[in-house]
Amino acid sequence: MADKKQGILQPLNPADSFTLAMDEEIRKEGMPGSLCGFALELSNKPDVDELQDRINIFLENFPVAQASLQQRGRRFYWCQREQQRQVFFQHPCSAGENQTKFFQQTIEKIINHNEPREQQSPIEFHLLEGVNQSIFLLRWIHPFCDARGAELILKFLMAENPGQLKKFTLDSGKPLVNQQLDKYKWWQKIALFLKAKKHIETIDQYQSIIPLDQQQLQQKPENLRYEIFRSSEQQTTQIGKIARKQAGLTGANLYYQGCLMRALEKINPEFPGEAYCVPYAFNLRKSKVLTPVLGNHVCALFSQATREQVQNRSQLFQHLKQQNANVIRKKMDYAFLPLMWAGSWLSLEKYGKTLRQSYKTGTERTSFWFSDIGQMDFKGQQFFNADIEGLFHLCQVSTPPALALLSCQFQGQLSLTYNFIEPQLTRDWINQLHDYYLEELLAASN
Amino acid sequence: MQEFSAIPRLRDFIFQELIFVESPDQFGNDDDLLEAGMDSMGIMRLIMFIEDEFGVTLPDTEIEPDNIGSFNALDNWIKKHKN
Repeated sequence: MADKKQGILQPLNPADSFTLAMDEEIRKEGMPGSLCGFALELSNKPDVDELQDRINIFLENFPVAQASLQQRGRRFYWCQREQQRQVFFQHPCSAGENQTKFFQQTIEKIINHNEPREQQSPIEFHLLEGVNQSIFLLRWIHPFCDARGAELILKFLMAENPGQLKKFTLDSGKPLVNQQLDKYKWWQKIALFLKAKKHIETIDQYQSIIPLDQQQLQQKPENLRYEIFRSSEQQTTQIGKIARKQAGLTGANLYYQGCLMRALEKINPEFPGEAYCVPYAFNLRKSKVLTPVLGNHVCALFSQATREQVQNRSQLFQHLKQQNANVIRKKMDYAFLPLMWAGSWLSLEKYGKTLRQSYKTGTERTSFWFSDIGQMDFKGQQFFNADIEGLFHLCQVSTPPALALLSCQFQGQLSLTYNFIEPQLTRDWINQLHDYYLEELLAASN
Repeated sequence: MQEFSAIPRLRDFIFQELIFVESPDQFGNDDDLLEAGMDSMGIMRLIMFIEDEFGVTLPDTEIEPDNIGSFNALDNWIKKHKN
């Protein structure tokens, strides 16, 4: 018993276990697991010594950042490593090398680096030094933190003085999933659990449309690739106005999802299946809060629209909005928490299936992964003496669906990053999909 | 008789559940809630809370910054539908 607990820094929370189930699923396909990235595009090379110092302070304050994720019995824990690994890497662009190509190839190499889970560093910091620009990339394994946590890590690195750093390390108590669960009595938890199961059963009445044909499904996934598209400020404002008109003040997220459903339908109306189904996460942290930095504090929900609903733009957005309102009205958002808690005691494979796969057919439920992290506010802040000119996100994705769209806004520009798996999907296909998507985002009416 | 005000309960809910501000006491009733970080999921939660707590139905078409942008705006919106 004593051996089992030796070197344990901390256990995973139920939301961490959920992303670990995704990690397991991706690894089973021979891919590197649930690796994610957050990249800052910089005007010049930042002050490397200062950056290294701040990374060291981060590691001192968050020892889990250098831990090893290990299974002890049925559960997983962050454990102390015998030997620390390097976590900060510099990648200089060679003289004469094309900078854009260098950035893309290096990032894809980093995000596709495959190693056993126990060996993998929870987080790595990469500085790609181009000729006249640089990119600072955080790469983390998903149970270590979520996208909001990654944003907080960047804010920690950029904080102006040690007084500010303390705000990130204040003890926020139990994981937020557990804090939410503590609000309910045991019978209320059971009622919520049953509600979530019923919700999943309702979703499972339709077979999900997956944007891959049989031949693509049988191919072995090889690499994650990404393509970034940015809308101009004018175009972004226009998209915002249309989204608000069609989906309301609370529906921007749903607008992006619905437009991608329609773009996929345009690119191939023959994809088998009955309905598009998209998971979306909501964060349990309060807005603007600086803790907790580490761990996952999200709960997953699904939006779903039948092929018929997708055909009609205004009907689609009304439907998605209504569906979302019902989810919150019926407290379905919190209903998934007891399900996640209970699931975290299952094997990773069973846990993943419970929340992700259709009960009836055992096939993939998600048509694509989607995440919108909204407005990024690094306004006026420099990154170690370099201006931040842009940013984007990355995430490994299971196959199927082999496609994830990550969006955010920075300095008035909408940034859309398509993450896709080769050979199932290709850059040409993504470019074509984006043309349809942009057309949908900018479409004023039916 | 003291006039009804939803503000105390709104302040408790928003600062406990939706938005973090360092000094809630210094956050004025006219200060901008959207600027303070109220996102779409937060707005939906807030509306459900208001409907449950104050027994009003708030139409989707009125979910506008003018009605949800500050505590005073929310209070006026609730009063409009309570009467």
